[in-house]
Amino acid sequence: MSTPEDRKAPGRDAESYEGRRAKALAMGGPEKVTRRKAAGVLNVRERVDALVDAGTFIETGLFGVSGTRPEDRDKSAADGKVAGFGKVDGRECAVVANDFTVMGASSGATNGRKIGHVKRVATSRGLPMIFLGESSGARMPDHMGSRGMGALLGNDPTQYARMRETPWASATLGLSYGSSSWYAVLSDFSVIRKGAVLAVSSAQLASLAIKEDVNPEVMGGWKVHAEVTGFADAVAETDEEAIAAIKTFLSYLPSHNKEAPPVHEVAPGSGEAMAGIAKLLPEKRTQVYDVRNIIRAIADKDRFFELKARFGKVAVTGLARLDGRTVGFVANNPLSKGGALDTDACEKITSFLVLCDSFNIPIVLLVDTPGFVIGTEAERKRAPGKIMNFMQALQLCTVPKLSVILRKSYGQAYLNMGGGRNSDEVAAWPTAEVSFMDPTFAVKIVHGLEPGQPGFDEAFERMNKDSEPWDMAGIYAVQSVIRPQDTRDYLIRMLDVHRQRMSNGVGQHLMQAWPTSF
Amino acid sequence: MANIEARTDVTGAVWKIVTEVGQRVEAGDTIMIIESMKMEIPVVSEENGTVERFLVEEKTPVTEGQVVAILKA
Repeated sequence: MSTPEDRKAPGRDAESYEGRRAKALAMGGPEKVTRRKAAGVLNVRERVDALVDAGTFIETGLFGVSGTRPEDRDKSAADGKVAGFGKVDGRECAVVANDFTVMGASSGATNGRKIGHVKRVATSRGLPMIFLGESSGARMPDHMGSRGMGALLGNDPTQYARMRETPWASATLGLSYGSSSWYAVLSDFSVIRKGAVLAVSSAQLASLAIKEDVNPEVMGGWKVHAEVTGFADAVAETDEEAIAAIKTFLSYLPSHNKEAPPVHEVAPGSGEAMAGIAKLLPEKRTQVYDVRNIIRAIADKDRFFELKARFGKVAVTGLARLDGRTVGFVANNPLSKGGALDTDACEKITSFLVLCDSFNIPIVLLVDTPGFVIGTEAERKRAPGKIMNFMQALQLCTVPKLSVILRKSYGQAYLNMGGGRNSDEVAAWPTAEVSFMDPTFAVKIVHGLEPGQPGFDEAFERMNKDSEPWDMAGIYAVQSVIRPQDTRDYLIRMLDVHRQRMSNGVGQHLMQAWPTSF
Repeated sequence: MANIEARTDVTGAVWKIVTEVGQRVEAGDTIMIIESMKMEIPVVSEENGTVERFLVEEKTPVTEGQVVAILKA
């Protein structure tokens, strides 16, 4: 008969540990994992491996299981969400990755604690937070009934309070409902993989609620979020591509808001395209062109990372490097609607300004816009509110702002794009034309003349001449008139002049609590 | 052969039609130019195809999203 001294303490044998660990690492079991592989989709642990530097992932909560229903404990490996810390390109990051093979990665009591812990560590220790989302939403039946709701929801008053202490990046890599959608739209960067769906709830539930067939992709697929809602900053063909996009995004960002963004080596060949930059601008003032070619010429070679490329296309927003330092470009793109700013573009620019200012990224504005889109449709889309959100965001930015007027800058858009004291420095190309409105309209309003009527051409010429940048430079309302080919050098020098030395490159973050989507 | 609808992404008036019926266009080619906000804004083919017919003429007012030409893939 054994005595209490002979008995092993519970769980003290290696077999118990290894067995439990293997079970947790097996995710939802070989059948489900094999099915995913056959479909060409990475499983959660492969996704984490693709994200973090080899050998750096330290997991938290591996042995977590369903905390609500004892009968689910054996089938809830890691409780469906892999959490931990790993280095991404050498920098420590916090990670939550959903495992759809485990109860659809649904939200439960234990994984809620895991997410809460990782988020708190990321926020208090200054780590970027990364979400790899694919989740069926709230776990059923755990959340059912008043006890389920009371026990599982609403116990963390900071769960959705985004203060942008550290950058958040998310990838939507499959069906994503409930909390994984919330974290995607709360993020500073959100990439969606083709075939994935980001929505409030499943198409099945939506069909039940509104009594019509709902197609998941039509409801919340990549096209919807890249082109209509603007929730997707980027679109990827594969899981790997989506994860690579997160890494690229983070490479431009600091780890937290109390430091300046990292400085990288200048890519070879940077600046070589500047000699031909003037040719990228059409000679005729009414012709359109793609401003992204101008940004690519100015930025370090191949260091321009466009955000929301398919949404609000009249404006271009993107992170880039200039002489190895991160900047955010905001540019009008005449290629789309002549560069006239619409409400989507206002929202896109506003959210980008908030991102840049929150993470100490200087802003470069490239201006060529005939103004804001006006008319009935624009007003119904709440244009005045959107224009003022954009304007307020610009004025609240405390990072350096440099504005370069390439061609047109008219009316209120002149102010929104950094004109006057709305930038730290305003430079104009000799091709700049600045006025309250296009001379053609002004001749009609001031002189009552239409094109073709006697006196129109003379009046037009006079007003057109008045729009040239020299008078503005004469009263120091633009600080410099620069040759197009000197733009890169000018920006690099001026960014150096305006570097925030007294705060080590850190701004005041006056919009850190602004929404992450509008 | 599928129909491809070419749409204007801007409200304005047709300024110039720069292609002809039967003409082959590649993705990215300009089909016609809309004048809006005193700018010349191209309607660009999103796919390769042949111009089947125009639904507008020069000077026709158009609204954002309106189909202005039909192409055959």
